[in-house]
Amino acid sequence: MKLKLLATALTGALATAAPVQADFPPLGPLPPAPIPADNPMSPEKTELGKMLFWDSRLGGDASSPCQVCHEPGKGWGDGGEISRGYPGTQHWRNSQTILNSAYYNKIFWEGSVTSLEGQAPSAAEGNVAGNGDPSLMEMRMRFIPEYVARFKKVFGVDWPRMTHAYQAIAAFERTIVSDAKQVPFDRFSNGDKMALSENAQRGMALYNGKAGCVQCHNGPLASDQKFYALGVPENEVFKTEPLYQITHRWEHYQKGVFEKDYRSANLDLGLYYITKNPKDINKFRTPSLRELKYTAPFMHDGIFYTLDEVVDFYNNGGGEGPNKSPLIKPLGLSDAERKDLVAFLESLSMDKPLLMDPPKLPPYAVMK
Amino acid sequence: MKPHVIVPLACALAAGVALAQAPATPPAAPAPAAPAAQAPAAPDILPLPEQKIDAKQAELGKFLFFDKRLSGDAALSCATCHDPKKGWGEDAALGKGYPASENFRNTPTILNATLKSRYHWDGRLDGSDPGTLVRDQITEAVFMNADGRLVQERVKQVPEYVELWKTFRKDDPNGMRIFNIVGEFIKTVTSKNVPYDKFKAGDAAAISDDAKTGYELFKGKAGCVVCHNGPVGSDGKLHKTGVPENPQVLSDPEHGPLRAITMLRHYSTSGMPNYMNARTDVGFYAITKAQKDMGKFNTPSIRDLKYTAPYMHNGMLKTLDEVVEFYSKGGGKGSELKPLGLSAAEKKSLVAFLESLSGDPVVIDPPKIPDYRVREFGKN
Repeated sequence: MKLKLLATALTGALATAAPVQADFPPLGPLPPAPIPADNPMSPEKTELGKMLFWDSRLGGDASSPCQVCHEPGKGWGDGGEISRGYPGTQHWRNSQTILNSAYYNKIFWEGSVTSLEGQAPSAAEGNVAGNGDPSLMEMRMRFIPEYVARFKKVFGVDWPRMTHAYQAIAAFERTIVSDAKQVPFDRFSNGDKMALSENAQRGMALYNGKAGCVQCHNGPLASDQKFYALGVPENEVFKTEPLYQITHRWEHYQKGVFEKDYRSANLDLGLYYITKNPKDINKFRTPSLRELKYTAPFMHDGIFYTLDEVVDFYNNGGGEGPNKSPLIKPLGLSDAERKDLVAFLESLSMDKPLLMDPPKLPPYAVMK
Repeated sequence: MKPHVIVPLACALAAGVALAQAPATPPAAPAPAAPAAQAPAAPDILPLPEQKIDAKQAELGKFLFFDKRLSGDAALSCATCHDPKKGWGEDAALGKGYPASENFRNTPTILNATLKSRYHWDGRLDGSDPGTLVRDQITEAVFMNADGRLVQERVKQVPEYVELWKTFRKDDPNGMRIFNIVGEFIKTVTSKNVPYDKFKAGDAAAISDDAKTGYELFKGKAGCVVCHNGPVGSDGKLHKTGVPENPQVLSDPEHGPLRAITMLRHYSTSGMPNYMNARTDVGFYAITKAQKDMGKFNTPSIRDLKYTAPYMHNGMLKTLDEVVEFYSKGGGKGSELKPLGLSAAEKKSLVAFLESLSGDPVVIDPPKIPDYRVREFGKN
């Protein structure tokens, strides 16, 4: 592949001391998003999905549609350290962007679901997220004649069903992807040598070499979708804010950890909640590095506001914590190198944010 | 929980005959031959029995009853729809619901609720277990929409609640016990100083002569006592009286189809066949799916009616005069009742009697709800 050759050449030229990149799938423009065979795309389906994504009636008290925690104007996340959560509650992790979520097969910070069709119900029904009851949300849709007509057209059913609603939302989300023409790195990869500044090009070499980012942030998505512990500092709000403490305990309780884990919970145990294997404590799924320009703050608990802080964190060898990955060690990057690395990371974002006008939502009607 | 006895009156009689013919059962003696001492007492409104109440649990339960954090978005407490100032119910025909939802039935009072043998207008819950009723309301999506586990963690975040809990248990606030404790408080919400009860206890002057006449009608010509008997004035059974549908269920001037959404969703989650085409309140049918139960509702208590208007499962009757008039005509369409042919004076007397079943208003001041406090992180 042309790109791989190019990247290898760069690495070879600039960082012979640490030829890490060759062992990992290279970065590159995103291929078309994978489409599950049981949820094919159609314009009618994505249009319906867009409406549902914005429709607050898909949630408990009509205050929290998907869009509230995944706002286009906030990089399709919610802009906060920890996601806002349902009224009367707080969420406990950073709201991840929808951008390029189509490419993940492990969704949520602990990879608890494997598809967007699986993510949507967790969000709409989760008690600190949408807190919607599926049977009630389903009945609400059935009293919206335009939805009845659209579900019939798209899914061939007499009445809207939540499973179809989640499929439509997933289909819409698969359209929220980076446009390669707008991403400097993608343009560079596709042959536009002017697309990356010299800083960014040096940063790319560091990424693939001395800084070792590519060991986990690889492939077109810039994520290996594996789990690592980095010792990211815990967000202080859990020590100081009652609502966060409630959710912290609740998460441990409802995830079914052992009682001793619940009693002593003072850490986000990450992948451990799924596997209950102590080796997985504090491990989180590698996030994509695309569109970082629009998706601050960073990390599972939103602890870093800038890419400079993130790069400093890695340069210092990460933080303290259980099961810390051996890949995380001091990098010895100079000030100039750190600047270059940030320049490269920024080149993985589109020139302009992907914004979108809200759809017009159809009203309820009395059923004859 | 004691088992449901889901048997309509006619069947109950038939079953009685069948039982009498069973070999293990002695043949039923003809009524005239039965010794007077063993004759079943004529049905009547009985005094409210004493309930065993754990005062410490009830004290915490009172806080929780008024605490909005027991609902999903902390927008409403039990007291929002069971308002002490409104007879522990609402003064509207149809109940509120959780934000973005509206109820499709009248909110029953919780006065004397723990003495009922069945809960909900469609009788779907057993009355021996108020904790389950509380759990049902708090976790139900159209009422308080709270996750029970989240309620537990919220209660634990209030040091005053944890302290109160420690006065009766060694552990932390947990699980279903929290709902039981709200039920313990509800036990304390009972009628006070009821003229009828004083009358029955021997104070002949406690009710007017008019009410006394009404009492005789209640037990006699009007036949009310057949269903309205026992301590709360309910047989705990399901009956069809043909109350007209409340048109606002299908189309509410303020809330459009929100009540119909709640109704059809209730049918859907009850597993009722053909629920999307239902346009009436089917009552007990949604629970049993037996055609004979179509349009049947749980006999409500007739205590403290003075404070609990409007009446019936959908609030369609606004005054006791209207209620008595309704029954005098034999109820509405499909009613299992017969016309009573009451005179104007008799109707007045009956209303006077019904009013004598109301005591002093049971009003309490809402407690001051304590705030969440920070806990030591990692010490749960």
